[in-house]
Amino acid sequence: MPNQDPWTTLDAALGALRAHDADVDTVDRIRERCLAQLAAARRRQERRRSRLAAHRRWLEPAFALGLAALYLAAIVPRALALLR
Amino acid sequence: MVSVEREIELRLVRRVKAGDVAAFEAVYEAYRPRLYSFLVRLSRRGDVAEDLLEETWLRLVDRAATLAEDTCLAAWLFTVARNLFTSWCRHRAVDAQRLSELVPSWPSPRPGETPFEAAARSETERRLETALARVQLRDREVLLLVAVEGLLPHEAAAVLGLSPEALRKRLQRARERLVVEMDVHEPERASPLRAKAG
Repeated sequence: MPNQDPWTTLDAALGALRAHDADVDTVDRIRERCLAQLAAARRRQERRRSRLAAHRRWLEPAFALGLAALYLAAIVPRALALLR
Repeated sequence: MVSVEREIELRLVRRVKAGDVAAFEAVYEAYRPRLYSFLVRLSRRGDVAEDLLEETWLRLVDRAATLAEDTCLAAWLFTVARNLFTSWCRHRAVDAQRLSELVPSWPSPRPGETPFEAAARSETERRLETALARVQLRDREVLLLVAVEGLLPHEAAAVLGLSPEALRKRLQRARERLVVEMDVHEPERASPLRAKAG
């Protein structure tokens, strides 16, 4: 092909260079550190989630009670006024 | 339109973001040799490459949750690795040009290769590795990213913080210097890889 990229041969030779890799111990050590960090992050996330769930357990009923109290405070005087 | 490979990558990114161990393992297996090869050729030191490799992966795990949904993993990982290497050079006040030379180990024959083919390939590899080790760092990194690691031009431009046009020019100059480097040190073997265009 006359119009082929003149660097095709060079790029092909560079692309065919061997991939190196760290030694097995290093590969395993890095993996273990990363997995430990992932597990720690997941534990933190779960703790945060359970704290939020615990807050919801008392926050939601308290909020509902507050709304009910407001409603009653508004409606009871009216009902009493009608009865009188 | 999103290619199938890109779609798979985006799915992996979502799983890594969620802290999925299997997804991390898949990314680690796919990119570890590429990152190590890049770092070892960039720094020309195995011990430095291993330290920076470790730091790169720890950074991925640390920042996994904050990755953008459309993260390109190759560009992200190579950017971190390159930035860590740059910091390492700055921190140690190392002149990257004076780092000891990488001595590539003797390549083993590939399956189905004749001894002659293996020897010819080894010789080319040796000359390329030596020339790569000798060119300037800025030339070496662009060659490593585009030609050796096969990053797409826009990905390599993102890693190096260049515009696509600047990347194209730098790559062109880097290729020219690499070929010159191969010929200067072994003129008797005038490079068959030399560019034919003016």
